[in-house]
Amino acid sequence: MTLGLALAVWLVAPLALRTFTRASFFEMTAPVAATASYVGDLQRFWALRLHSREALIEAGRDQARLDASYALSVQRSAALEAEVSRLEALLRMPAPDHFRLEHARVAERDFSGWWQRMVIRKGADFGIPVGAPVVFSGGVVGRVSEVHAYTSVVQLISDPGLRIAAVVEGDTRPISYQGAENQVFGPARGVIEFVPLDVYANASEPKLLATSGLGGVYPAGLTIGRIVHVESSEDGLFRTGEVELDPRLAELTEVTVLVPSNPG
Amino acid sequence: MRVAAVLFLTLYLLRALVAEANSALSGLHVWLFAGGLFVGYSALMVPFSQGFAASVLGGLLCDSVAPVPFGTHAALFGTAHAAVYNLRERLQRDETLVRVVVVLLLNMALFLALSLLRIRHVPAGATVWPRLLSDLVWSQAAVAAAAPWFFALQLRSLELGRAVPSRSA
Repeated sequence: MTLGLALAVWLVAPLALRTFTRASFFEMTAPVAATASYVGDLQRFWALRLHSREALIEAGRDQARLDASYALSVQRSAALEAEVSRLEALLRMPAPDHFRLEHARVAERDFSGWWQRMVIRKGADFGIPVGAPVVFSGGVVGRVSEVHAYTSVVQLISDPGLRIAAVVEGDTRPISYQGAENQVFGPARGVIEFVPLDVYANASEPKLLATSGLGGVYPAGLTIGRIVHVESSEDGLFRTGEVELDPRLAELTEVTVLVPSNPG
Repeated sequence: MRVAAVLFLTLYLLRALVAEANSALSGLHVWLFAGGLFVGYSALMVPFSQGFAASVLGGLLCDSVAPVPFGTHAALFGTAHAAVYNLRERLQRDETLVRVVVVLLLNMALFLALSLLRIRHVPAGATVWPRLLSDLVWSQAAVAAAAPWFFALQLRSLELGRAVPSRSA
């Protein structure tokens, strides 16, 4: 009787009430995730403090070399951007989307067989919008699916619910990528559909899959994964395939949210 | 409603611990589900209305952090609670072993129910079963190990909150 009554009340409850209740319960759990993440950072800080002076000097020297090579890359990138802008102005092309980079620590990872998400330690307080792309040094991480007061939820590219318009390396024809299988003791995989018949790839000669820029969410050219298998689809018009994702996705501690400068 | 409030606090702690464990195990592609622990003690040892409230609130807590229609866990936990409550007089529910077995069966039933609800969202759904079965095995092992501790924690919390229900209730 009580069970039936509770279900009936819930079914007729307005959407606004459900949304409010969900947000309230989430905010109730957020302090624990954020605190645990801060404690983890503190633990890493003290672990680093225990390193010897020689190790720190060595790390500083390596860092200086990296900084020097990155400084050169930044200069080259600025020159290329100026060239692209000049050509866009000549061809009267629309200005591409610009993004503000918002780096965020990962507070919690939730990688089940049903869904793949992570909670990051920035939310509405840093102007993170729903739908913003999230990246790391290896390529696409996913997109922001929920924004809360000071945390956000990121849906990973390995999540079966995420679809992205993609292109194969060296090709401009768009294909469809979707998160799929999350294996036991192995990297996550995705599937691709509508692959042109002349595209070949296998585990020994994989092809890189990148974002196409179509759809307006992800900028073009971000790495999604490696195509390790393609086969003809049932209708024979296209091919389907498997994509192996970066194994580092399962252990990320920091990501970057690309916040559109002119949302909407 | 003091009993429900105290039990909800223990469920809040349980969710936080499970979330931390899952976060730490993500690199190994292992995910733990402890739904049975959210329902077990409330259904076996507590008067219906207060235990039911605790189970449903625990379900709402799980719903808020999962990409499922809000109320899915709550409905599953509420149904499981009602089913176990109706059976509990036939069980030796003072025995820890019996409680652990009930929680393990509950955990498996809830995991499979949730899997059947979610499987249609996965392309080539059949390929996901090895991962789900692996998660289920690890979850059952973790729940079996943690259940006696969690029952003790819930009992001590009720004692501290002066909310231990009488057996006749």
